[in-house]
Amino acid sequence: MIKHYVKIAFRNLAQQKVLTGINAFGLSVGIACFSLFLLYAVHEFSYDRFHTNAGRIYRVVEWWQGEGRAPGGSGGMYTPVAEAMKRDFADVEYAVRLKGADCFMKAGDRIFNTSITYADNSFFNIFTFPLIYGNAKTALQQPDQLVITKEKALQLYGTTNVVGRILEIKTDSAFEPYTISAVAENIPANSSVKFNLLCSFERIINHPEVQKSNKDWYMTIGLEAFVQLKPGSRLAYEQNRLDLFRKKYYSEEQKPRKKGKKAEKKKEPEIQTSFRLQPIRDIHTNPQIEGGTDPKNIWLLITIAGAVLLIACINFTTLAIGRSAGRAKEIGVRKVMGSQRTQLIGQFLAESLLLSVASAITGLILAHALLPLFNQLADRKLSFSLSRFPELPWLLVGLTLLVALLAGSYPALVLSSFKPILVLKQKIRVGGANLFTRSLVTLQFVLSIGLIISTIIILQQLSYIRSKNIGFNKENVVMINAQGIHSKKIYPLYKEAIQSQSGILSVTASEMGLGSGEGQMGWGFTDHLGQVKGVIAYPGDYNFLNAMGIQLVAGRNFNPSIASDSMGAVIVNEALVQQVLGTTNEKALGMEIRNAKGDAATKKIIGVSRNFNFEDLTHTVRPQMFYRPAILEPSRIFVRLQAGDPRRHLALLDANWKKLVPDAPFEYHFLDEKFDNFYKNEKRWSAIAGWAGGISIFLACLGLFGLAALAAVNRTKEIGIRKVMGATVTNVVALLSKEFIMLIAIALLVASPLAWYVMHDWLQAYAWRINITWWVFAVTGFFALLVAVTTVSVQAIKAALTNPVKSLRTE
Amino acid sequence: MIKIRDLEKIYRTEEVETVALNKISIDVKEGEFVAIMGPSGCGKSTLLNILGLLDDPDNGSFLFNNIEVAHFNERKRAELRKHNIGFVFQSFNLIDELTVFENVELPLIYTGVKSGERKKRVEEVLDKMQIMHRRNHYPQQLSGGQQQRVAVARAVVNNPKLILADEPTGNLDSSNGNEVMSLLTDLNEQGTTIIMVTHSEHDARYSHRIIRMLDGQTVLENIMV
Ligand SMILES: Nc1ncnc2c1ncn2[C@@H]1O[C@H](COP(=O)(O)OP(=O)(O)O)[C@@H](O)[C@H]1O
Ligand SMILES: [Mg+2]
Repeated sequence: MIKHYVKIAFRNLAQQKVLTGINAFGLSVGIACFSLFLLYAVHEFSYDRFHTNAGRIYRVVEWWQGEGRAPGGSGGMYTPVAEAMKRDFADVEYAVRLKGADCFMKAGDRIFNTSITYADNSFFNIFTFPLIYGNAKTALQQPDQLVITKEKALQLYGTTNVVGRILEIKTDSAFEPYTISAVAENIPANSSVKFNLLCSFERIINHPEVQKSNKDWYMTIGLEAFVQLKPGSRLAYEQNRLDLFRKKYYSEEQKPRKKGKKAEKKKEPEIQTSFRLQPIRDIHTNPQIEGGTDPKNIWLLITIAGAVLLIACINFTTLAIGRSAGRAKEIGVRKVMGSQRTQLIGQFLAESLLLSVASAITGLILAHALLPLFNQLADRKLSFSLSRFPELPWLLVGLTLLVALLAGSYPALVLSSFKPILVLKQKIRVGGANLFTRSLVTLQFVLSIGLIISTIIILQQLSYIRSKNIGFNKENVVMINAQGIHSKKIYPLYKEAIQSQSGILSVTASEMGLGSGEGQMGWGFTDHLGQVKGVIAYPGDYNFLNAMGIQLVAGRNFNPSIASDSMGAVIVNEALVQQVLGTTNEKALGMEIRNAKGDAATKKIIGVSRNFNFEDLTHTVRPQMFYRPAILEPSRIFVRLQAGDPRRHLALLDANWKKLVPDAPFEYHFLDEKFDNFYKNEKRWSAIAGWAGGISIFLACLGLFGLAALAAVNRTKEIGIRKVMGATVTNVVALLSKEFIMLIAIALLVASPLAWYVMHDWLQAYAWRINITWWVFAVTGFFALLVAVTTVSVQAIKAALTNPVKSLRTE
Repeated sequence: MIKIRDLEKIYRTEEVETVALNKISIDVKEGEFVAIMGPSGCGKSTLLNILGLLDDPDNGSFLFNNIEVAHFNERKRAELRKHNIGFVFQSFNLIDELTVFENVELPLIYTGVKSGERKKRVEEVLDKMQIMHRRNHYPQQLSGGQQQRVAVARAVVNNPKLILADEPTGNLDSSNGNEVMSLLTDLNEQGTTIIMVTHSEHDARYSHRIIRMLDGQTVLENIMV
């Protein structure tokens, strides 16, 4: 029987090649899209689950809670805490400190920039990072030992078996030898704990800064602490024990803050600080703790993925109904011949199962082929690794069956229930262009139109903030990394060497970088109301403002011939004048401002610069100041080039660099790209939304195509009659398109306010934002209509050109 | 009015070639009422479709009001058709989704008659066919005789010079059939030319002349007296 079903199914599918093809292709695309998005989501939620003891590993975080600020935490931990926890809590099995640092490594005569991680010996007891070579127990025993990843080993030596080799590494001032003790498998992409080179914490324990931090329980040096609890321990949920621990080492926090009046107490926000244990699996997706991503975005993606799949399934159903529409008669005959209803249902399900299995296979192949492109889009390194996601095949098999059942059951049940006589007499229309399928198609267009509107608005906002004059000129500026070199000496030499060359407009330097990932330095200043305000500080060269194109609105620039300019003179921005000083630009000149802590010298204002923004434009301009330190030790050198092809200039910069600093690579970024990187996420999301929108409108059109075909079939006779009555081709096309245009119009009406609401919400995050304009909706609507009308017209024209004699003959 | 000479129509399917009209020649004068008879499959409907400018012949000449139309393209045929010819079919061919009024209104819409004028003319003709009281009903709610009266109303609403009827009584009982036949006779008496295909000798007697066909050719003509 089943063989019979399959045989007939094959024959039926082959008979309607175009519709079958569209049907299968649409589902394939949907499944491909869905599996990629799902892969991404699974990846995001799978972070740090691969550790054998993942359920018992926790990161120690500091948690703030209190009036006037949202509760949140940070994984930045104080140096002595990990050891103290191990000592004080019997249920802490292992504790580990991790500290990362930038370094240079030398292999032969080549020098690479990379990162090194210092970790306590217990590292491999806690984390599951398999070693290819070497022994986990002894790999970090000696302070000159180094564990290297397979990837780095290949990069350096072209081979993986490199245990025993000596690698020279420079973290401070000179290269020092390390012995490679082990080679680790590459770190999984879904790991929060990452390393390239791993070294014992012993190595830096005597470093003065680390020493200091080991005694000072308030000093952070960018270190993280992890603990592994013994099985059965509930320490992470026994906050009172952790609070007692905090009390023990931070006794002064428990003292009452002020013995003043109650009114005064109210003014001072009360912030409670505590230690907490954050499950390692929670790190990646907990936005409350610094560095965690918001799972809202992942859920959004899953929703989009679900929507696209839903669209594909809806299509599959409408098209399956469409395909079966022409077969009403066959069913009638079969029924008269005594076919059981169950047999008919079996026949239809066999067809849709066959088709959906084929689509699923094609879809997976498609997904596999598109993975590299998707990885680029999502900025991830995803792979369809069965070992990492053992659930994946089951998920997909289940999905395929579900789709087949959903798509097959509607036509199966509806068609098999026809009264045969009615069908044979063609008295009833095949359920197809009914309310159900119409709603489905409308829903598809709601989703597609919504996604497209969102994409356009994201793109508009992106181009707006990119084009927005941020107060200085970031084009054609090369930012050179001067970290880890003797920049105090080298910078003046380098400047001297290049500044008079043709094509080099100006050279300056700062102890701070600019743009995404460069961080900021700031101090608290007491404002005119007595409150502490953060001020961002830029220690730079005399000509920094000029070179960057920052304009002064009052006062003067730094002048190398005025000695006091490198001793306490500052140029501040308008925001500082308004928010901290509460005065006017002119009055601010000559004023002195004092660091809130009082441990730095007083600053005297010599100039006020126009407001500009060194941050991403979700922020408004914050108070900023510039000064020329007495001894300038830049970490970044900025070179403004003449506009045009930069290759010649870059070669010049590189050559001069090599002459002066042969032991550090010439590493640079273009400043405008650095600023563009602030919007990497936005770009990624607009790309994803754009693709999803494009795919969904494509799928929706497939559905529409099927529906139009169905309508044309169902209305063959009517069209014939109308033509006999004098209808032209245009009349017929208009007739058939009219109702679909209605559907699109409804979809536009539903999608527009939805998209407006979501995007309006999204835009609120930006201090500088566009207004959503009506024409975005108009253009999208017009586009959707155009695409839909074109799709429908293909069918409509075909129907309109059919000789009416033929359509009326079928009696 | 109609003058065809050596008209040929051949249907080609994958294997078989059917000669539906084999060098047929016929003349119909203005004001005539002609019946066409013959066994099933002899080409009557094919002939009617060509006369009605719904289909084009493969060979031969077709003069309609002294204009050669055999090689008219679809658009020209449609233009000529909608102003001059009305159709009545055996299976009525009303549109189920439209009311009686809307069905009858259809040809007027496609010839571009204004809505006020349309209403007047549709009501006029519905009155004449005595189905005014059914104007807002749908075809499925009417009896066969009533449906065919609607179809006749639709055929004449444009005041065509020629009405082509393909077995108009084929699906009707005799009393309903007679009613339709007398409608056609009335129209003919008012000057409309009528060409009707029928299987019924009884109905054929309403006509002035019977053309008998066999295998795509005329075999006999009876002039009625
Ligand atoms: N569209 C068509 N394709 C193929 N053969 C056709 C077509 N229309 C009619 N025929 C054939 O042409 C012949 C004449 O048909 P028709 O004019 O409908 O006959 P009648 O109306 O006299 O019964 C028949 O043999 C019929 O099968
Ligand atoms: Mg016939």
